[in-house]
Amino acid sequence: MGWISVIGEWFFWPPFFQLVIAPGLVAALVIVIFILWFERKTAARVQMRVGPYNVSPRLGGALQLIADLVRYSFQEFIIPFTVDKAAYVAAPLLMLIATVLPAAVMPMSPVLPYSYSWPNIMEYNLLLALALLTISPIFTVAAGWASNNKFSLIGAARESFMITAYELIFIIAVLATAAPVHSYDIVRIVEAQRTWRVMALLNPPAFLAALIAVLMSTSGFPFEIPESEHEVVAGPFTEYSGLMYGVEMGAAYIKRYIMSVLMALVFFSGWKPLDPTPGAGVWSGYVAPLVVVLIKATIIMAVISFLRAVYGRYRLDQALHLAWRLALPLALIGYAIGLLYGYLGVL
Amino acid sequence: MPPKPAHKRVPLYGFLSAVKGNLEALTIGLKYFLNPNRSTLHYPREYIKLRPGYRGYIVLNKAKCIMCDSCARICPAAAMKMVRFQAPDPKRPGKMKLYKYPVINYQRCIFCGFCVDVCPTEALRHVPAHDVVYLNLAEMELDLDRFQVEPKSPAEVEGGIPVKYIFDPDRGLVKVRATEGGGGSGG
Ligand code: SF4
Ligand code: SF4
Repeated sequence: MGWISVIGEWFFWPPFFQLVIAPGLVAALVIVIFILWFERKTAARVQMRVGPYNVSPRLGGALQLIADLVRYSFQEFIIPFTVDKAAYVAAPLLMLIATVLPAAVMPMSPVLPYSYSWPNIMEYNLLLALALLTISPIFTVAAGWASNNKFSLIGAARESFMITAYELIFIIAVLATAAPVHSYDIVRIVEAQRTWRVMALLNPPAFLAALIAVLMSTSGFPFEIPESEHEVVAGPFTEYSGLMYGVEMGAAYIKRYIMSVLMALVFFSGWKPLDPTPGAGVWSGYVAPLVVVLIKATIIMAVISFLRAVYGRYRLDQALHLAWRLALPLALIGYAIGLLYGYLGVL
Repeated sequence: MPPKPAHKRVPLYGFLSAVKGNLEALTIGLKYFLNPNRSTLHYPREYIKLRPGYRGYIVLNKAKCIMCDSCARICPAAAMKMVRFQAPDPKRPGKMKLYKYPVINYQRCIFCGFCVDVCPTEALRHVPAHDVVYLNLAEMELDLDRFQVEPKSPAEVEGGIPVKYIFDPDRGLVKVRATEGGGGSGG
């Protein structure tokens, strides 16, 4: 018992476990690979095509993504002469790291399996997660700038336009869920939601605004503007090849995943069908709630993927128009509703 | 200074119709997601069963040909040529006779079907196949022997499933399995 418990204690140490295993890197990769396959299959289904198929016909082409991964990792990584080398190489890696960082501060369960001194019940973890989420777009812009290519520059400029639009919306919309419970603690926000009384239903404007912001921030359709293939090749990632390109494309999806986890927590009552009590063991007290949150996040991602099949792409000015004229007011209305709930003490 | 871009004001009914349009798009997407109507042809595993009258590859029946030269004359792409050769005449033993028969060059043929239409004895006919593969350009110029062999679709030879596309009033074009003798599509 002694050894297992020691190893378990190390393994589940939150700074490591949350960042690297789940909801961090490993879970992110697994879910993102599934979502990428799902997205391609869904788009194909809706658009009367078949999608990935030939790699593994029995599994509906599920191994296609593995094949793509292998192909990307063995492709030559070319560093062009004209780029700013340090920034060019560092940007994708930093982007990936910055994208996963918020996972470290998002509590996946109200209780921790071992008596760590890590403050999982941090008072301000929602604010921390939101603040960490805002880091990664800087590296998208940096990648575009370092590439020294007109398409990259245009893509980076578009990305920076989008950042200014969506950051505010997402933060206001998510903070609208903090107002009713008078706390920035995700655990308390989740605990306040019961059965059908989830924030998404109680506060639809905030939820809709947050969803639009997620779409905008992760280049989901209809906001796939910085990387729009028909206009700017691959936007900020034009000059990248091989694994680095895969990392950058993956980073956008991992960001979508992290944002979905956050949305699953604050809008869809996180681990809620389960109700872990402080005495519960590792599995029922920590891993089971984690799985529930991840399943909810995957469903949110699947819905976002479905949108890809239906929508075309907005022009930049249309997207900004929608963001500033529609989504921002929606987020503000949502925040007002949140304040009202907080004032009336509904939750 | 560049002129300021004019921003179109979006009136309320425009906003509502946009909401309605979005909902309609999502509904249609969901309909297709739940009940997909895939029209992809998995080519070597499936192939389109063509109708007998399909203007596909052309085959010569040498026995029926009366050497009238009409097919070579009418061909707009100069794909059909007559070949001439001396051979013993079966009617007059010991004498030679000049024979001429058409051959086709598929590098030039546009599959217009004029040669088949003009042939007075139906010596030329179309084969319902359009996916024959040649390894190089020289192979596409058929000689008299190869012009008499009926080309087969490789998908059919390898046992692909014959399918056809039919029009369904509710679902549009639908791919269904073609039954034996039940005709085909295309053309
Ligand atoms: S089908 Fe038309 S183009 Fe082809 S050989 Fe006959 S007449 Fe010429
Ligand atoms: S038109 Fe018919 S009969 Fe006349 S030469 Fe051509 S194939 Fe022979």
